[in-house]
Amino acid sequence: MTETSATPAPFLPNQAATGRLLRPSIWRKLSRDKAAMLAAVFLVVVVALGVLAPWITPYDPYDNNLRNMLKPPSAAFWLGNDGLGRDMVSRLLFGIRTTLTMGIIAVAAGGSIGAVLGLLAAYFRRLEGPIMRVVDVLLSFPSILFGLAIAAVLGAGTFSITIALTVAAVPAIARITRAAALVVMQQEYISACRAIGMSDGRIIFRHLLPNCASTIFVYLTLQLGQTILLGAALSFIGLGAQPPTAELGTMAADGRNFLFFAPHVSTIPSFAIFLIVLAFNVLGDALRDVLDPRLRQ
Amino acid sequence: MLQHIAHRLLISIPVLIGVLLVGFLLLQVVPTDPATVVAGPTATHVEIEAIREAMGLNEPIYVQFGIYLTRVLQGDLGRSMISNSPVVTELANTVGPTIELMLASLIWAVPLGIVLGTLAAVRRGRMSDRIIMAVSVAGVSMPIFWFGLMLIQYVGFHWQLFPFQGRGGPLWTLSGLDHIVLPALTLGGVFIGPVARMTRTSLLEVLGSDFVRTARAKGVSERRVVVSHALRNSLIPVVTLIGLQIGFLLGGAVVTETLFAWPGVGRLAVGAITSADYALAQGAILVLALSFLLVNLLVDVLYAVLDPRVRAR
Repeated sequence: MTETSATPAPFLPNQAATGRLLRPSIWRKLSRDKAAMLAAVFLVVVVALGVLAPWITPYDPYDNNLRNMLKPPSAAFWLGNDGLGRDMVSRLLFGIRTTLTMGIIAVAAGGSIGAVLGLLAAYFRRLEGPIMRVVDVLLSFPSILFGLAIAAVLGAGTFSITIALTVAAVPAIARITRAAALVVMQQEYISACRAIGMSDGRIIFRHLLPNCASTIFVYLTLQLGQTILLGAALSFIGLGAQPPTAELGTMAADGRNFLFFAPHVSTIPSFAIFLIVLAFNVLGDALRDVLDPRLRQ
Repeated sequence: MLQHIAHRLLISIPVLIGVLLVGFLLLQVVPTDPATVVAGPTATHVEIEAIREAMGLNEPIYVQFGIYLTRVLQGDLGRSMISNSPVVTELANTVGPTIELMLASLIWAVPLGIVLGTLAAVRRGRMSDRIIMAVSVAGVSMPIFWFGLMLIQYVGFHWQLFPFQGRGGPLWTLSGLDHIVLPALTLGGVFIGPVARMTRTSLLEVLGSDFVRTARAKGVSERRVVVSHALRNSLIPVVTLIGLQIGFLLGGAVVTETLFAWPGVGRLAVGAITSADYALAQGAILVLALSFLLVNLLVDVLYAVLDPRVRAR
């Protein structure tokens, strides 16, 4: 949830950690971590399944067929059917598509806003106080409250939940970016850029941002897992994607009504969420360990 | 000490005003006219206009915010559009069960998390450490509703050990205790992982410090070193981190309450939002945010009590 979700262990960027993601040695180290590699491969497959869902699903995920209602897995329907007789494989693939889209859009948007705020706070010291105070306040509130408040105003639905997830992603990324950018700001090449009269915008986006990119990227990976978890929780309590939309949290909530005689309807989407979030967490942790070995306790 | 508390109170004021402003704006942007709601379905246009004037809804927005603040300070959050009872009454009935649920979850999850974290730190790198940490990562990745659903399915339905719907009454009754077991297991279950992880990190740091080496050098038994020297010192950051995770617990509480039909603030908020009962939703969100601020404040003070260095800063 959750922030609904537990916040991942803090990632404190150090000088060595910034601007190194593209080095081959990093990838070599990462490739030695079997769990991380497994997580990465799993995520690639899951994303591919989500992207290709409209072309590879065996049935229409919205096609009701009450004759197949709550059937257990069989040769024709590999994961069985839900309460309206819809094919669970097709719904699962479309569910992954919706859930991942919501999570990725929210983290990309929230991450971008957060990164820009963090860069501005680090570069323009005058802005640091006001930006960071607002960020601290946002950070101090449980993410689920944003979900509740935004759903109260805009009504329940995929759109309002994506906005809530975006807002929830901003403060953590802003803070992490600022910390990384402050380290980069100490470097001589930034002073050199200033000395040759380079514009602020160019310094920020051509030099500061690329050198903080790896830190931001690692944190985005960890954030994505938490965002997906929060989005699924909000959908589960009825504030996110609305039926008949195939979304993993909504599907799990759907299956709740048949829990005692057809547990597969809620178990399959819940298990999918668990695996996806676990993969993002394992990969994020491994990336952090490789980029900042001091934290590998 | 008093100075520290005063300082913390002072910096909470802008946040408090911010929260109230958001609560106020929530009611401004929703597509319902409070005067029409108060007047009831049979009111004439003239009556609605009179109520509108009396409620100050024709005033400029900053004046309305002032009126809103005064009303909130007097404990008036409006009336529920569905039950027509005062929002404050509805909230008063639900705050207790939420606090009860959170405490019942913390009371078993925090000690267990600390024990597991300590075990992992002491046996660092060994199989037990790896298993505990793997379970902890899995716990952080687990959708809370799935854990709850599994408990309902097996413990509640198949084995029929505990009830899984609603609250059975006060905690000192058998029925009350019976009903809280599954919700508290669900909410506490997802909390063990983070606590174990924090304890392990904090304890590892302390185990590497000079005073632990001194204790070992003077021949103190390993058990005593860990329990009386290292663990006591490592618990200070753990207390703060647990405090910071209260928000996470609150999020979990909203889901758990909905899942187990537990009559708490979270379920009230979700119900109000899905039925477009704006006044009630706003009140519930306000109470959740304010109680969260209060808990943060308490944790900060507790931190200063536990660690004299914080006071000196």
